[in-house]
Amino acid sequence: MKQYLRSTIVWAIALSAVAVFYLSIYNAFTKDVETVRKIFENYPPAFRAALGFHLDIFFTLNGFYLFIFGIVLLVGAVQAANLGVGIISKEAAGKTFDFLLSKPITRTKMITSKVTAALALLAATNIVYITIVLFAANAVSKGDFEVKKFVLISLTLFLVQLMFFVIGLFISALVPKIKSPISVSLPLVFAFYIIGALDTIFGKNVRYLTPFKFYDLTYIIKNGAFETKFLLLEAAFLIIVTGAVYYLYNKKDIPAVD
Amino acid sequence: MNIFIREIKVNKWSLLFWSIGMFVFVLAGVMKFSAYESSGQNINQVISQIPKSVQIIVGINVGADVSTARGFYSVLFFYLVLVATVHAALLGAGIISKEERDKTSEFLFVKPVTRAKIISAKLLAALCNVIVLNFVTLVSSVWLVSKYNKGASATHDIILLMGGMFFLQLIFLALGAAIAGILKKPKGAASLAAGILLFTFILSAFVDIYPKIENLKYMTPFKYFDAKTITTSGKLDPFYLFLSVIIVVVLVATTYLSYSKRDLDI
Amino acid sequence: MNVIETKKLTKYYGKDRGIIDVDMSVEEGEIYGFIGPNGAGKSTTIRTLLGLIYPTRGSAKVFDKDIILSGPEIRQEIGYLPSEVFYYDDMKVIDLLKYSASFYKKDQKIIKKRIKEFAELLDLDLKKKIDDLSYGNKKKVGIIQGLLHEPKLIILDEPTGGLDPLIQQKFFNLLKEENKNGATVLFSSHILSEVQKICQRVAIIKEGKIIRVQKISELLENNYKRFKLDTAANVSKEYFAGIKGISDLSVSDGSVNFLYRGRINDITKKIAALNLKNMLVEEPSLEEIFLHYYK
Repeated sequence: MKQYLRSTIVWAIALSAVAVFYLSIYNAFTKDVETVRKIFENYPPAFRAALGFHLDIFFTLNGFYLFIFGIVLLVGAVQAANLGVGIISKEAAGKTFDFLLSKPITRTKMITSKVTAALALLAATNIVYITIVLFAANAVSKGDFEVKKFVLISLTLFLVQLMFFVIGLFISALVPKIKSPISVSLPLVFAFYIIGALDTIFGKNVRYLTPFKFYDLTYIIKNGAFETKFLLLEAAFLIIVTGAVYYLYNKKDIPAVD
Repeated sequence: MNIFIREIKVNKWSLLFWSIGMFVFVLAGVMKFSAYESSGQNINQVISQIPKSVQIIVGINVGADVSTARGFYSVLFFYLVLVATVHAALLGAGIISKEERDKTSEFLFVKPVTRAKIISAKLLAALCNVIVLNFVTLVSSVWLVSKYNKGASATHDIILLMGGMFFLQLIFLALGAAIAGILKKPKGAASLAAGILLFTFILSAFVDIYPKIENLKYMTPFKYFDAKTITTSGKLDPFYLFLSVIIVVVLVATTYLSYSKRDLDI
Repeated sequence: MNVIETKKLTKYYGKDRGIIDVDMSVEEGEIYGFIGPNGAGKSTTIRTLLGLIYPTRGSAKVFDKDIILSGPEIRQEIGYLPSEVFYYDDMKVIDLLKYSASFYKKDQKIIKKRIKEFAELLDLDLKKKIDDLSYGNKKKVGIIQGLLHEPKLIILDEPTGGLDPLIQQKFFNLLKEENKNGATVLFSSHILSEVQKICQRVAIIKEGKIIRVQKISELLENNYKRFKLDTAANVSKEYFAGIKGISDLSVSDGSVNFLYRGRINDITKKIAALNLKNMLVEEPSLEEIFLHYYK
């Protein structure tokens, strides 16, 4: 766990910095509302109609936050996927597996302890992020700031990260020696991101295909709560995949070093 | 050259995987587009249903007429570039840092070759990979788009866009390599390159929406060759071409200099 | 000619000392040992000579050419076996060896023959994937990789780790063969018995500095041996008086204990006259030697 402490700090800072940076633009941004509206006037009518309809949400703090949150999700997903792929692969690649396994613990226990450590890191990152972002949002808010909805949106970061973490774990269970975790986690995250984007434009059932679109953020804004069905779905997903990971690890040969 | 051949051999499955991935992306995009075209729905109508904030995140070219093949492809291009640059950055960083990462440096660097020669062979192999990926994307795009296209030909646009993408690939390839050359412990090179890529990507999304920070567009290569500008102007901006070449040359030179002068991480 | 010649070779890793003012000369055709405890600077010296890391101060020449200016040229004639062997896991052994051979401007046919010979001698399956090899077998790959191009200088860093005693013996014989054919060997180790077996001269390095360079024969002769004797009758201290080289002598009922340094024949003549029930002669450990040389 110690090895990851430094990189976790970097991630937490990066995530917070992203959010804070863009939140700071928000203030200036709203001042330019009129200018922005004028720009959009030049676009074709169909667009304008759509935009006009949604501009209102956009210019609320929560709406703006939605906008930048997509980026935050992207960055956070990379962190989580990287953790998932790396935390166990690191042993196999670094050939320290034998060392660990010769200690008086079962494989299951070893994986559990590593997973717990990773989850703690993710949780810590989220706590830091939410705290910082809450402060920043409060600072720039013009009174339309609803803490509860804000926090709920931010929590989806953790939920999405969990999904990516577990997917990363699963991949590392399938492929024994991954020498560069980011070469797997980055393309993985981007693949899901692109699926989400393309399908938003051209498809309908995006939500089940990619963790990014799993939670409907506008629903949260409108209703101030998560959709229970999806929370349950995620829980089921996490349990099944984690179970598979344990199963795989207990079955497979560890690439042995004499 | 033996090192060159070795690098080509070892990367062949990865290249195949990425190429197939690219092909599938283009295919999926084109199929989705044609589904809408044939069903008679006006895509622009569909897009207008999507919350604006999501649109921007997703990178829809505000103003692009997505109902034509050309307009649609310019949106697709945004993502193809993402895939290609990730590939290039990871490849560049990986191919230079792998000897130290995998601890094979005490084998390779004791051979009677200069470090410069090793770099050259590796960069050349990486370049070949990047060219192949670009070519695969180009051919897939031209073929698939023309197959499903019922309107005006987009081929000229596609070729132009692929040219732009090539320069982006070169920039990120060189960036990855330079980072691996500079870092004392190159294991983190791929992550750092990925981080910088992420950062410039996010920056490019924002430069679009917020005019005040428009000057930052020089900081993000993604804005050098963006679909909207290229398709409307019908050519690649020579200033950006020049800038790209300078960046690549500087980064490659940095790779050579730093990698030759520093201690290897053993 | 001195195959290796270093002048005040110094390497600092940031603030941490690697090696300091190392002056070393290895003559052509000798088997030169390089011993010291872990962390003394053996690997640092070797890696600097090979161009893997760059010296902070000082210079070095191999085959009378500067190691920095003429690096690649020098390495045409160097074979290196590192202490930890890692190769490309996706390759088969034979592929790796062929890849290794491709760097050298030597007759590839001869190289091919040598690969086959060595593989047979060391009992190594050329068709196996490197990934599937045990550590000891990977070491064998390392040995062949280091020798296949008939190098004039063979550098070995802790070479016997992971090898079983039979293979070790074959390896040493191989080295002696190469040496007979004109190769110079630099053999670095922290295991004194190995160095004793095969080297002619040895440099002792401790905490980054070369403490002493000496012929092995002298090292052995000049070493203390501990003698423990069980005798049938009591021996008086005076019996051993006048023998040069005895120290730390203690006598008690039926046993004698002392340190001896000098010609073995002299002391054994003296002991042979006694009625011995048991005799134990102990070699000093490496630690004991270093303690001695530290003084």
